[in-house]
Amino acid sequence: MTATVTARPGGTLLAGSPGSAITRLVWRQVRRGAAVVTLCAAGISALVVATYDSVIASAPGGAASLAALAGNPAIRTLFGDPVALDDPGGFAVWRTGTVLAVLTGVWAATATTRVLRGEEDAGRWDILLGGVAPIGSVVGRHLAVLVASVTGVGAATAVALIAAGTSPAGAVLHGSALALVGAFAVAVAALASQLAGDRAAATGAAVAVVLAGLVLRMVGDGLDPFAWLRWLSPFGLSALAEPFGADDPLPLMVLAVGTLALLLVVPAAARRRDLRGGLLPARGPRRPRTALLGSVSGFEVRGTLRPLTGWTLGIAAFLLLIGLVSRSMTEFLAQNPLFAALAAEAGFADLGSVEGYAATLFALLTVPVGGFVASRVSALAGAETARRLDLLLAGPVTRLRLVGSVAASAAGGALVLTVAGGAAMWTGSRLVGSGLGLRDSLAGAVSTAPVAALGLGAALFALGWAPRIVGLAGMVPAAGGFLLTVVADSMGAPQWVASISPLTHLAPVPVAPPDLVALAIMVAAGAVLAAVGMIGYRRRDLA
Amino acid sequence: MPLSVAVRAAQLTKSYGRVRALDAVDLTVPAGQVFGFLGPNGAGKSTMIRLLLGQARASSGEAWIFGVPTTDVVAAHARLAYVPADVALWPGLTGREILELLANVGAGTDRAYRDELVERFELDPSKLARAYSSGNRQKVALIAAFATRAPLLVLDEPTAGLDPLMEQQFQRAVREARDRGQAVFLSSHQLAEVEAVCDRVGILREGRLVDVAEVPALRALHRTEVDAVVSGPVPDLSGVPGVSALTADGGRLRFTLSGPPAPALRALATTEVTALRMHEPSLEEIFLGYYGTVQA
Repeated sequence: MTATVTARPGGTLLAGSPGSAITRLVWRQVRRGAAVVTLCAAGISALVVATYDSVIASAPGGAASLAALAGNPAIRTLFGDPVALDDPGGFAVWRTGTVLAVLTGVWAATATTRVLRGEEDAGRWDILLGGVAPIGSVVGRHLAVLVASVTGVGAATAVALIAAGTSPAGAVLHGSALALVGAFAVAVAALASQLAGDRAAATGAAVAVVLAGLVLRMVGDGLDPFAWLRWLSPFGLSALAEPFGADDPLPLMVLAVGTLALLLVVPAAARRRDLRGGLLPARGPRRPRTALLGSVSGFEVRGTLRPLTGWTLGIAAFLLLIGLVSRSMTEFLAQNPLFAALAAEAGFADLGSVEGYAATLFALLTVPVGGFVASRVSALAGAETARRLDLLLAGPVTRLRLVGSVAASAAGGALVLTVAGGAAMWTGSRLVGSGLGLRDSLAGAVSTAPVAALGLGAALFALGWAPRIVGLAGMVPAAGGFLLTVVADSMGAPQWVASISPLTHLAPVPVAPPDLVALAIMVAAGAVLAAVGMIGYRRRDLA
Repeated sequence: MPLSVAVRAAQLTKSYGRVRALDAVDLTVPAGQVFGFLGPNGAGKSTMIRLLLGQARASSGEAWIFGVPTTDVVAAHARLAYVPADVALWPGLTGREILELLANVGAGTDRAYRDELVERFELDPSKLARAYSSGNRQKVALIAAFATRAPLLVLDEPTAGLDPLMEQQFQRAVREARDRGQAVFLSSHQLAEVEAVCDRVGILREGRLVDVAEVPALRALHRTEVDAVVSGPVPDLSGVPGVSALTADGGRLRFTLSGPPAPALRALATTEVTALRMHEPSLEEIFLGYYGTVQA
């Protein structure tokens, strides 16, 4: 430094290093989520390896029958190509790899837009950039911390796998794949944060790209002619590395180079734009659109329409694909007459029909629908923190009525999503002629909606008593339940463990009639949670 | 309780843990009055307003808006409009759309007057809220509040981001509101603004309401500073009723005067007065007197 700065006598001049201060700031903002994801990934991987022997021993026919089951296109679409099911590590990768990669990727994308774009939108970067660090270096520091966090997820998973007794090469390869999927999500979200005009748009775009990668992998795994699509997807490239099988690092190198290229563009893009602006042109002045501004409920519907459209398109595309794959499954069944019996013995009831296949995948629909519902209540909590509710609640509107409108439009949206999912699945299966009925498809999809009611109740409970964790609480019944089911199934846990998950209590509609009692209990539990949450919400001070 | 009382607080108290943000405040603001709520940062002004709006719950005590308990937000808010200190708007809506929403949700709006206010405050309502500066966001909230027919306007430091011309428009709108019979509860630390528009002032310090006074009475409580220059013999003012803190520097006399000025003027008139300046303390000086701080 050339300027002469004199410290006051007796005072300490904090010349400090601005870079490391920013690094510490970012780490404070992401460390909690990073710790949760790391624990999940490492813990679940180790658990599945540790219980491998008992699970395989108890399966009828052992690893061979499992391999036949895993060869089913439906199962392949969900979990990926089975590579080394006779190896505990290979089994863990097949059974939990996709779920953990999606968890890591979605967390990385949302955390990235939160610290890169949300902090900027909230005006806090005005202060940060008023310091001596230029924007390129501030953004670079953020990226470094985020990439380090996902690297930690991968490293912890590799260490946990090795500690549980798997071969080091496969463990390191699988850990690297997790870390690279996370880093790819960071890069995509960081780029979206520079292009889009605000955090919501950046998050939507980034999560859409990450999940599109998953769909590409699924198409590639489910439909042989499209196997090459896996080279375009971070999930596909992870699968192509075949940890514990071929142990081929080349696909991961492709992913690393692509991710690095994206990451390098980000600081340059940040330097080229205005603070709180995006590189894509912002919408200018416009004529007023006054539809749905007449009441609080109408306004909430208006605010729900745009995100609902995005979620609907995503879910419909996903289930259309699942429907299109259903044909190749029917062919597979024709060639493997023993399969249906095997699958039933292994616990995958009724996978032997297109209806059973649909029912299994409709259970998966609860995760995105639960995510939508949680995101709506989370948006209300965010509006409160951002003080946007001050003006609304200064009108003659009770808090209860405001929350009621949010809950109603979230519940309505969830219903729309399940109907759209059912219709898309039917469309896909009809296009390939696999014979799934429209009524069956809709019934199967809509019968999963009560899990979303449970998620809505959990989110509203948190809104009243722990408003900072609304989104997380809302995700627990569906995504948490799904994770629990996967873990419990993979490690052969006692029945009561799996029975904690609401997904265990969904009847496989349309194969079986809906379990109306279980569904009513879920809706009632959601209502009780919501009611208790409202007691807290009415009493507490607003942020 | 008479309905002619716009705001009433009885022993209103709010504690955050061991910190008392508001301590047993008793206050009455009659309908139709412009009431200034003064105090330094952290005195509890915003806490008081959050309690009045039902955004926060009182630890003890009660408050009423036109006789309606503040906990009954539907009835209480049908009688008020509010401008927060830090206006947050929906970034994806234009100014016009936000005004429309607030008019539909709020206590009833005079749309013709609202359009006039849009002109007077020079707001471009076709812009998206994300493009508004903080001053423009404040204008949106002010226009929405002034355009209501609500008998009480609660304004929390509403002019922090406004330029002097807009500040004038604000003061004009407050006077028009008073002329229509609306009460205004104006929290501020802009003393010139309070002095210009308020009928009555309450001063809050560390959560306690230390004084409530009519603005003229508050000013009259305090002495007039007199600065006189005389040629010729310097008159002896010591012992003249109402004169104190007398200093003489050659032909220059300085003293403070309380009560009727006639005796002091008569004493001065015995000599040739070449310059006389009488200075009435501004509310600011009174205010600073309360807090014992004189800023350079």
